[in-house]
Amino acid sequence: MSLRKQTPSDFLKQIIGRPVVVKLNSGVDYRGVLACLDGYMNIAIEQTEEYVNGQLKNKYGDAFLRGNNDLMGKSTTRKTLTLYSDGFFSFKMFL
Amino acid sequence: PMDAVDFCCCTNTVEEPLDLIRLSLDERIYVKMRNDRELRGRLHAYDQHLNMILGDVEETVTTVEIDEETYEELYKSTKRNIPMLFVRGDGVVLVAPPLRVG
Repeated sequence: MSLRKQTPSDFLKQIIGRPVVVKLNSGVDYRGVLACLDGYMNIAIEQTEEYVNGQLKNKYGDAFLRGNNDLMGKSTTRKTLTLYSDGFFSFKMFL
Repeated sequence: PMDAVDFCCCTNTVEEPLDLIRLSLDERIYVKMRNDRELRGRLHAYDQHLNMILGDVEETVTTVEIDEETYEELYKSTKRNIPMLFVRGDGVVLVAPPLRVG
């Protein structure tokens, strides 16, 4: 994966299809395959599993995680999006 | 009548996360809300804020009490049924097809 100059939307296209962990600041983790992401940071994940301390629930199919629609900047539920990729790197996006 | 959903074009592909919700219109869905609330109901309408109209809803509110002596966690859930409900989008955390137990 090239990390040279690219637009944010190019980046978003590249990470689609990758396994992700989305951690809400409420302490709940959602693990699955990133299906899509939009400009409001709404996230759709496939084969999602929800972890609170241990494994609590299994969600099959698609799960939609709401982004922060307040574009003026105040975010209520903070998320980190952790991407595991090929063992070469992992990084977090703070949403 | 209020247009709860605004489309530029109708496609069968999922291009953005809100398309996922569109595919669930008229289906039963599971909604996880803030403050330990869950809803299961039929999605009649939604908008970009995730405001929703749900029909034939079961709401579950979960609370945890901790016994001061044994430190046991006692989970309680309270359910109620609501025939038609407006859900304000800012409380929504997650939307999915209904959970399968397992």
